[in-house]
Amino acid sequence: MERYELVVIGAGPAGLSAAIEASKYGMKTLLLDENGKPGGQLFKQIHKFFGSKEHKAKIRGFRIGQELLEQAQSLQVEVLLNAEVMGIYEENDIMVHIGDEIRHFKADNIVIATGAAENMIPFQGWDIPGVIGAGAAQTMMNLHGVQPGERILMVGSGNVGLVVSFQLLQAGCQVAAVIDAAPRIGGYGVHAAKVARTGVPFLLSHTVIQAEGTDHVTGAVIAQVDSHFQPIPGTEQHLDVDTICIAVGLSPMSQLAQIAGCKMVDGPGGIVPEVDECYETSMPGIFAAGDVTGIEEASSAMICGRIAGLAAAKRGGYVEEDEFQTASAALKASLDQLRQGMFAKKNRGRTDLTETDEGYPLSQSLLKKGFMDPEELTAFPAAQVHRAGIHPVIECTQNIPCNPCQDACPCGCIEVGQTITRLPVLSPTAQCVGCGMCVSACPGQAIFLVNEDYEEGQASVALPYEFLPLPEVGDQGVALDRHGKQLCAAQVVKVQKPAANDGTAVLTMMVPKEMADRARFFEKEV
Amino acid sequence: MRIQEHPILGTYEKGKLVEFQFDGKTLTGYEGEPIAMALKAAGVMVHRYTAKHHKPRGVFCAIGRCTDCVMVVDGVPNTRTCITPLREGMEVQTQYGVSTKEEA
Repeated sequence: MERYELVVIGAGPAGLSAAIEASKYGMKTLLLDENGKPGGQLFKQIHKFFGSKEHKAKIRGFRIGQELLEQAQSLQVEVLLNAEVMGIYEENDIMVHIGDEIRHFKADNIVIATGAAENMIPFQGWDIPGVIGAGAAQTMMNLHGVQPGERILMVGSGNVGLVVSFQLLQAGCQVAAVIDAAPRIGGYGVHAAKVARTGVPFLLSHTVIQAEGTDHVTGAVIAQVDSHFQPIPGTEQHLDVDTICIAVGLSPMSQLAQIAGCKMVDGPGGIVPEVDECYETSMPGIFAAGDVTGIEEASSAMICGRIAGLAAAKRGGYVEEDEFQTASAALKASLDQLRQGMFAKKNRGRTDLTETDEGYPLSQSLLKKGFMDPEELTAFPAAQVHRAGIHPVIECTQNIPCNPCQDACPCGCIEVGQTITRLPVLSPTAQCVGCGMCVSACPGQAIFLVNEDYEEGQASVALPYEFLPLPEVGDQGVALDRHGKQLCAAQVVKVQKPAANDGTAVLTMMVPKEMADRARFFEKEV
Repeated sequence: MRIQEHPILGTYEKGKLVEFQFDGKTLTGYEGEPIAMALKAAGVMVHRYTAKHHKPRGVFCAIGRCTDCVMVVDGVPNTRTCITPLREGMEVQTQYGVSTKEEA
């Protein structure tokens, strides 16, 4: 039996962060993961993260994963892969299945960071090949470069469903529709909007009732549901798809905490170990961090992991009380920043919110259709189109924890302030130079640069663009509105793709002036 | 279908192109990628048939949790193809119940 001061179970964002933090203080740490590669789901996250600089905002998930691995390596964290933890028993005896053998490890401290598993919904034919989890789609296209299908139905409009829908489009697949049994879109409006503007329809209060096909999916039948989520007879419609992707939430994988004897609580998000503010469970020296304690974003999981690692280091005598207080207070403050706003854990499931923290009416169109009506946008000062010269139009209308736009602008045009869930505000004095840094920095792809004085009768609209083939200057095409509907002829007049944008091109198109408030996407003429 | 070039990821790092056997047919895939990915790229959807009702099953979770994608690999049944790396010359067989068709 080998002995470690700390054994971390699960090498995802929380586990890696816990191991890194504890190792920084000199703790002898072993990191176990059942997979062949560390990183958990981070390497499938190819979108830019929300938050502020300290939360690694505007950095893509897989790059954060790479950073964490490098840190763990430089701190010489011992990592054991293909190691499946089967149980945690008396006196912290950890039983691990590796290859054909069972090994035992003894730990003074344990961090359980096993993450979560995808939920599923049963329907006729749900077991036919071609019905897959949204995570499976990400694994196929983002890790292995294989398209999950040609034409996909996405079931679920939470952030996973929205982000994966966009990634499917980036992988060259078609998304037939995003449906959700709930009457409102569950994820961030900005994630929905970037999918909607490519022309993907959102069907709320809809569920999938059948996967068609015998040995693989050949279609889907969806239907509208009533207020009790029951399909309404007569509303069935067939969709031509070869893949049905399920994104209906995640459940914590807390079995190990249960086996270890930790006190468990049955919350709305599943059965989770009860933890104190340092993520220690009822069993002294056993911590739990990340999605295993309740589903949140990877950004918060990383901080929770660090707090748990820090607390374990203190327990091991590696951190003095003063140092611990200062460090944990800083981490908790950083976590608190992410836990504000309408999507925070404490507000989850609320349907009674009608306005933003600033008192602007929340867009109902965004919640029901995935895009905003131009009339609704007029309530948001930073989204005003009719200003002289080039200026940002920020279609960010929900209080989500995010502020890279503020740091991106070299001219000080955009301000979010200390509370990062506040909506961005435009400076009345600073002058936009049209550099496009805010357009590419916004993880929600919600910033456009509009210039109604571009040419006589013509306006320019700059938009974020993350698809291939990248249009070129001079290309003729069609401007699409926020719904992906063809609006008018458009010509590409500028394409910027500096390395600093990390793959987000800023594409400027010229459209008739009266279309400046509606043209939000470009489709090349074929 | 394989993605040739991705707007964010560029091209994918792959092992060398190798041949393997699928139910007696020769297919190709990249060494080291999960067997299931090579099959998916080759258009194979059905990995096994269930024991009782003989219903088809394929990739579902793709991370080794659900065990829907198990097949007989080099004679070993119940091999999770979504997390088992492809090697040159592997023999991959559709699983019927818990064995190959001949044995079922």
